[in-house]
Amino acid sequence: MTASASDRPLIDKLEEIVTPRFVMQRESDLLVYNSDGLPGYRRMPRIAVFPGNRDEAVEVVRILAEHRIPFVPRGAGTGLSGGALADDVVLLGMHRLKRVISIDRDNLRAVVEPGVVNLHLNRTVAPLGLLYAPDPSSEAACTIGGNIAENAGGPHCLKYGVTLNHVLAMTVILPNGEIITLGNAEGEDPGYDLRGAFIGSEGCFGIALDITVKLTRKPAAVRTMLADFTSVDDAARVTSAIIASGIVPAALEFMDAPTIQVVESSVYAAGYPADAAAVLLIEVDGIAEGVDADRDKVRELCLAGGARNVKVAQNDAERARLWQGRKKAFGAMGRMAPHLVVQDAVIPRTRLAEVLGKIRQIADANHVVVCNVFHAGDGNLHPNIPYNADNPDEAERVHKSMGEIMRACVDAGGSITGEHGVGLDKIGYIELIFSPDSLDAMCKLREVFDPDRRANPGKVVPIHACQEWRATPAGRAT
Amino acid sequence: MARDTGGPRNVTAVAEGIETIRDLIEDSAKSSTALRIAGRSHWIDAGRPVDAARIASLVTHTGVVDYVPGDLTITVRAGTTLKEIDEITRAEGQWLPVDPFGARDGTIGATIATGSSGPLASSFGRMRDLVLGVEFITGHGKVVRGGGRVVKNVAGFDLVRLITGSWGTLGVITEATLRLYSLPSDTVTLALGASDSVTALQQRINSVLQSPGIPFAVELLDTALSEKIGIAGKQQILVKLGGNAAAVSAQRTAIGSLGGAREMDEGIWERIRLVESSFAQTPIVMRLSCLPQRVAETWNEARAIADSAAGAVMHATPSLGIIRCVLPGNTPLSLIERLAGLGSSPTVIFERLPHDAWQRLSPSVAGDRISQRVKNAFDPHGILNPGILGPIS
Repeated sequence: MTASASDRPLIDKLEEIVTPRFVMQRESDLLVYNSDGLPGYRRMPRIAVFPGNRDEAVEVVRILAEHRIPFVPRGAGTGLSGGALADDVVLLGMHRLKRVISIDRDNLRAVVEPGVVNLHLNRTVAPLGLLYAPDPSSEAACTIGGNIAENAGGPHCLKYGVTLNHVLAMTVILPNGEIITLGNAEGEDPGYDLRGAFIGSEGCFGIALDITVKLTRKPAAVRTMLADFTSVDDAARVTSAIIASGIVPAALEFMDAPTIQVVESSVYAAGYPADAAAVLLIEVDGIAEGVDADRDKVRELCLAGGARNVKVAQNDAERARLWQGRKKAFGAMGRMAPHLVVQDAVIPRTRLAEVLGKIRQIADANHVVVCNVFHAGDGNLHPNIPYNADNPDEAERVHKSMGEIMRACVDAGGSITGEHGVGLDKIGYIELIFSPDSLDAMCKLREVFDPDRRANPGKVVPIHACQEWRATPAGRAT
Repeated sequence: MARDTGGPRNVTAVAEGIETIRDLIEDSAKSSTALRIAGRSHWIDAGRPVDAARIASLVTHTGVVDYVPGDLTITVRAGTTLKEIDEITRAEGQWLPVDPFGARDGTIGATIATGSSGPLASSFGRMRDLVLGVEFITGHGKVVRGGGRVVKNVAGFDLVRLITGSWGTLGVITEATLRLYSLPSDTVTLALGASDSVTALQQRINSVLQSPGIPFAVELLDTALSEKIGIAGKQQILVKLGGNAAAVSAQRTAIGSLGGAREMDEGIWERIRLVESSFAQTPIVMRLSCLPQRVAETWNEARAIADSAAGAVMHATPSLGIIRCVLPGNTPLSLIERLAGLGSSPTVIFERLPHDAWQRLSPSVAGDRISQRVKNAFDPHGILNPGILGPIS
């Protein structure tokens, strides 16, 4: 349902703040916002509002607080958990706040607005010999604000850490309109790590208005390799062997045959061997002398573990091409079917071969195609199933497979999400890994920041897991 | 170096082991009896004084719950000491790169609770960056888990970061899963003399930090500390390099080209960690933190003040902008106030102070509304280490 006559007073106020152009209420305008990076989920917002600067954002949040209206913050909408879907509530888009406020080259810091696109920040600091380490595959579109909401990762997080490890401080507006500072941009931060608690809170705790991130010096040397295997098991075992060897690769990515084939038949073709059962894309970086030693050791481990060939990128262009195939793999899957489900489970790294085997069995039994493309180095799986959501039989088989895969990962000692967030997509699985008391503790933490649970309602922790809710008449009725 | 200056008085109950701790918390919650959380009591004299009638001790809650070396993670009970973790992981060619100041027989639970780290934090991150999962018992007596046993995890809200550094005020940590690293094949420690002038010192620090490759640790030591741990001469920059042989050799050459580098024995890092135990009475310990490029300036300002306290030592982790001052326990508070009031230092954290000085110098670090709400949510009866971060309303 979209806006009705009773919404008029609110719409008038929002239009006053951001101008009518940036308040949307017609279904035809809102259609583009009814899904995020997971097109299988669709939820129509009631109203969408897009503040153009910090003052407008603050005013919008305060108006929503005054009217006690639930809202869903949204960056670029590239999320892969349905986390930015607004189901008949207000969608608050932050992508217009896209200023890089300052860069401090000497102290390795940058202050940015939440709508700054990840890759834009990296392009801005690159001439200074610096980088912002978290590099989700959606880096060309996703925003730093969205990265904070999801505690985003990316291939290079294996060595450099995730968003949490690269954010020093934030100015945050709470759902009630109060503005607070979390963390400390210029020193240590005594007391509770509220900055840490906020990062990855999936838009349920508030909205970051500005963010001080830590920048990293570009490594002196980088070596990128592609190892191809005729056996998935061999590639999985080599992954475990590289990690156990003590080398910390900058990235260690895995792609299986269905992924390789779809990438190679797309505009993103990267020269992966089309007949391989799996490839590993491995990158080591650091001081030149050291990375050459690591490269040699990785090559040795790959060849000893059954690799048919290990190709080393000879220049930046070759390196970029190898990476393009990996980073655009999700997009390439659009060739296979109109919809895609993406999972994000994490498993202990010694269990890779075993769990990949189970995934294969589950796919065969349910007659679905699973494309595995994932961050093997930290055990972060991304089994993807391209399908047609409008075919009920196929949709049913896909969802059954996803549930079975998730359980296999949890049974192996894993987690349900490594970097995409719980959102809507995995809310049904969270009780597999957390006890009622743990989920209740999370509910309590959410209520510290948002006592009314107005920010991104219905996401992350199911409402029935919150003790306070269970005690209400609605809770008792269920 | 457990000193009972800030410990609990009128102790009436000591509980050990998870079930008895849960029972003790539930019982204490009912009667609103304050509890002091303790590992091996090394930190019992740190933080604001806690007036608690009971101790919840984790000292016998020790041992490995799960360790698969190939996963580079370990799950241990909270009473396990850093030394034990070191021995267990070293046997597999791995380590937990956490080196907080103080003896290595402190517990992992206390290290997480206090968010402690040392020089290695400059390259491996602080405690918050190395904890993957925790189990803790809240002030309601509920056993709660955050995070997990895998190296990457965003499931649910982040209770791990919340509990790390919360000084036992939100829950008693009973178990933790930690990220391990493989031991480097080569390590070497070099000492470089460092000039007294602000500009030259900052340049020297920068040239070390910006040399090719990332050192494991870079620590600035004042002359007094250098002498105490056996380095002759003036203040020093101590650099620990680690990695494969080729990387370490190249880094060593690069650092060597800066001039004046001498090779040190690796034991020097342990001597820095233990320097506080050489003080006759509990020292006053405070940290000043600032932007990395202001370290030399703040360092010199602090040194000018601290030099008048005989026996004071200072060291700093320049990449993190942290300067740590260890001063004799009888140092006049006026001097401490001058250090805390340094114009160029935006943040001051006290680790240890005389009891009566806390109120004057640092009454609370959890007085803001959100922190108070967090405390009330996890410990509504206010029984866990009450007052250690400041008063709870």
